[in-house]
Amino acid sequence: MLRNAQRTLLSLLAQLGILAGAVVISVPALYMVSASLMSSQDFFAAQVKLLPSSLYLQNYVEVFSVFNFGNYLKNSFIVTGAVVLLNLIFTPMVGYSLAKFDFPGKTLLLLFVLATIMIPFTAILIPLFLIIRSFGWVNSYPGLVMPFAMSAFGVFLMRQFILAVPDDYIDAGRIDGASELRIYFQIVVPLIQPALITLAIVVFVASWDEFLWMLIVTTGDALRTLPVGLAKFVEQYRTRYELMMAGSVVAAAPVVLLFLAVQRRFLQGMAGLSGLK
Amino acid sequence: MNDAIAAATRRNQVKSERPSIFGKSLAARKMRFGLLFAAPAFIFFGLFYVYPLFRTFYVSLFSWSLLDEPRFIGVTNYVNLSNDKEFINSIGVSFYYAIGVCVAIWVIALALALMFNQTFRFRQAYLSVYYLPAVISLTVWSLVWLFMYNPSFGLFSEFARWLGFTNVRMLDNPQTAMPAMILLSIWKGTPVYMLIYLAGLRAIPGDYYEAAKVDGASALQRLWHITLPLLRPVFLYVVVISIIGAFQAFTPMYLLTNGGPGSATRVLSMFIFQNGFQFLKMGYASAASVIFLLILLVFSIVQFRILRFQQQD
Repeated sequence: MLRNAQRTLLSLLAQLGILAGAVVISVPALYMVSASLMSSQDFFAAQVKLLPSSLYLQNYVEVFSVFNFGNYLKNSFIVTGAVVLLNLIFTPMVGYSLAKFDFPGKTLLLLFVLATIMIPFTAILIPLFLIIRSFGWVNSYPGLVMPFAMSAFGVFLMRQFILAVPDDYIDAGRIDGASELRIYFQIVVPLIQPALITLAIVVFVASWDEFLWMLIVTTGDALRTLPVGLAKFVEQYRTRYELMMAGSVVAAAPVVLLFLAVQRRFLQGMAGLSGLK
Repeated sequence: MNDAIAAATRRNQVKSERPSIFGKSLAARKMRFGLLFAAPAFIFFGLFYVYPLFRTFYVSLFSWSLLDEPRFIGVTNYVNLSNDKEFINSIGVSFYYAIGVCVAIWVIALALALMFNQTFRFRQAYLSVYYLPAVISLTVWSLVWLFMYNPSFGLFSEFARWLGFTNVRMLDNPQTAMPAMILLSIWKGTPVYMLIYLAGLRAIPGDYYEAAKVDGASALQRLWHITLPLLRPVFLYVVVISIIGAFQAFTPMYLLTNGGPGSATRVLSMFIFQNGFQFLKMGYASAASVIFLLILLVFSIVQFRILRFQQQD
């Protein structure tokens, strides 16, 4: 009897603990949304307010009309879209070659990819900038996109998935006289579709988040993506918190919507990255 | 990954007589198409990631502002770095930040993963909420926390006042600016590692626990003798990835303090960025990058040693 009561109490406490944790974790996000709906008067009160005195949507209007956030949003979608597309085209091919083929230089390629994962991006920032500059790509879409056209993690993710594709399927294609390209596009690609969706999600999030490179390679306002646009906004208007938060909501919304739409796959994808040791 | 490389190397040694790549045999055809599929990756990773590694070292031997002609000065940049208090400080600051963030993440993420490895009501919904900090970009979170740390109307400052602290100015005080960064980074970084641990926990066969239960092992004993030892490879992976990640941190420092107050949050990445792209000292910043690479190389070597130990167990 007593044991049972104890157990119920413990489980109730645990439930409460989990709930409390969830509340604490959501507070900054909720606070962001709430502050984005406050008028600047709400801040002059110089006191912490949890909720706006009235829903003030003007901030969002201002962010798009007075400031350039519509343009930043467009750039973010263009750059992220291009990066995702290029990754979807190239990484599965490379993963396929590493999983199912034997060719001279394979070890070298594995080393390249491994090195890319281990090299801190900051440490190659300057030479990478010099290369992009010598191509004449500074402050251009190719300059923003090309360094992320293939993700090393993505290559390993694809290799892992394609290893699980039975060789028989591929050999059957060969026996039927299919060309290697046809085998790839008509047998391998359809089989790894779930992995491709995972890859797209992972790359989308990483690319949407990219800050340092975009900061360096954009020299004017025209090509700034949302993270850089936000940063430059803050440099100029450090006290306009209501606009800062409205801009933040704009920057956060697409990824959050994607997350809500495909939660399970999203989480599996992120955990899947860890399977790569 | 290491296994793959080892296997590939072994294969190369065994098959010393390789068929010609131009032959009509299946092996030759596979070799050609393997190369064809891999070609974009050779060009891409070679050009954008491996070649810059060598170029960094090369540029570090020059004095160059991008606007003038590079002038060869040998190891002068390195000598100057070793006398540069700002540089030495930035290494210390990077270590402070990395240790502060990583140790907390290792522990908290593991605890959360163990929690989510249980079954309880609304588990999936909770998992999504707990993962939320990882979904939204670091730029956005940096601004939200900049707002939260605001002395007069930030939520964090209010909370600290409620706890009894007076005059809370987290970002203006050299003593508290770094803890403020660390807190934000732990909060943003933990969920990803939680998922990695969780995937590792899921991979442990349930039979082990059943057997231990039959033998009368308590929950704590099961955790200590089964879960944690089997989780060791995952833990090592988390350690390496989190350290590399923490040393690269840049966004929060750039947005919240720009390296200040004083140099309290000027991490190595910030030092390289400022010297390279604000002071246009390409050679000097490259030399700092080389040192940065060496530091992380040491970490990687230690990690591979540990992994090798593990394989011998």
